[in-house]
Amino acid sequence: MIRIIQQRAKCIGCNACVEAASYRWRISRKDGKCTLVQGAEKRGFFSVVVGDDEYESNKSAAVHCPVNIIKVERVK
Amino acid sequence: MQRNKVELLAPAGSFESLMAAIKGGADSVYFGVEQLNMRARSSNNFTIDDLARITSVCREHNIKAYLTLNTILYDHDISLMKNIIDAAKEYAVDAVIASDHAVLLYAKKVGLKVHISTQCNITNIDSIEFFAAYADVMVMARELSLMQVASINREIKRREITGPSGNLVRLEIFAHGALCMAVSGKCYMSLHSDFSSANRGACIQNCRKSYIVTDKEQGTEFEIDNEYIMSARDLCTIDFLDKIIDAGVEVLKIEGRGRSADYVYTVVKCYREALDSYYEGTYSHDKMDDWKARLSTVFNRGFWDGYYLGRKMGEWSNIYGSKATRRKVYLGKGVKYFDNVRSGEFRMESQSLEVGDEVLITGPTTGVVQAIVNELRVNDMPTGKVKKGDLFSMALNEKVRPSDKLYKLVDA
Repeated sequence: MIRIIQQRAKCIGCNACVEAASYRWRISRKDGKCTLVQGAEKRGFFSVVVGDDEYESNKSAAVHCPVNIIKVERVK
Repeated sequence: MQRNKVELLAPAGSFESLMAAIKGGADSVYFGVEQLNMRARSSNNFTIDDLARITSVCREHNIKAYLTLNTILYDHDISLMKNIIDAAKEYAVDAVIASDHAVLLYAKKVGLKVHISTQCNITNIDSIEFFAAYADVMVMARELSLMQVASINREIKRREITGPSGNLVRLEIFAHGALCMAVSGKCYMSLHSDFSSANRGACIQNCRKSYIVTDKEQGTEFEIDNEYIMSARDLCTIDFLDKIIDAGVEVLKIEGRGRSADYVYTVVKCYREALDSYYEGTYSHDKMDDWKARLSTVFNRGFWDGYYLGRKMGEWSNIYGSKATRRKVYLGKGVKYFDNVRSGEFRMESQSLEVGDEVLITGPTTGVVQAIVNELRVNDMPTGKVKKGDLFSMALNEKVRPSDKLYKLVDA
């Protein structure tokens, strides 16, 4: 399993994560920032635990995020 | 003919900088909210909720407030852009600085004044004529010479090009601060190397690093005079403001929404004094030397006169970071101010402070205060030196607050 974490407030809406993993990221037309699909919020950080099959594409989203607000970590 | 006095436009990347700009003598400030501005990466960006306070502070001090909304926009940004403009209209922001056509259209629709951003790269009179349907003030591309700016200004008058207000279009140029190696900020290097678009306000500043040049075919590394081959020196125009005013420029913009409050204060104050002395007829070389020395005390990569005088095509910095001759050392926080004895109380959190030292106090309401320490008191007893942990007071003519930070200014 992997956990994907996003510090949403700092998103600048560049769309890079959507390009990398469109099933997991969606740009909000309301505030122009990216939303982590099925993410739960805790103190400004959104996170979701998903299967290993999502690792590569979300790691790519994290690498390409210009403001480094996405983190992908392995969980047991 | 009586000419309007040049407007001095200062950056406000935080409430500290906003107050610093006001104290320095700015006529107007520009700031960004949310992520649709060219300093989106800066940690200090304002939000829509800050607009009320920003505009109220500006009104209280009788200066104009301009909102920057000048990144490239995607479809998903349109709703946020409209929300920002609606809020700017509601709180009576004086104008929005824009480059994307969507912003021009919407601002015009809701009746908010527009200034054309340097991101539009205006370099000719026909572009001025095109944008005149939307804006009364236009920022020229930074690569123009003053001769070209003067020619555009003459042509505005000859063709009587007026903006939506019915007045002749006013020209604005960058007067001081960082310059980009690319044409008026149109740089794709940061996007190319780090997927971090400068045109979405997320420049990672590749151009400020040092580089080596290698012949790929033979693997030969070339020796170059300066490894910082793309890092432009900072623009400084304080010694030829007379030529700028003669060229017909009416707004002088100081770059630096990412800079600290003391930077904003020092630069704005120097340019305020320079403009005032121009109008008083006392603009002189001696004064220029003094202003340049003061400007050198805060962040800079060395100065050059940009492209305005048409002399050199580019001057490059030879170091990473700043050449500032002074630096600030954090000491502690403000505690309270005693109005009756005009004394400020502070708590030392690091380092030490002695009588005779120069201190800098910055805060969101205080802005910037600089002073020489005449006397230090601990438990109301005079002392020559205070150190970490001490609660002390010193005479100050301006009020200090718990939100203020205290620094010592030392030679770099």
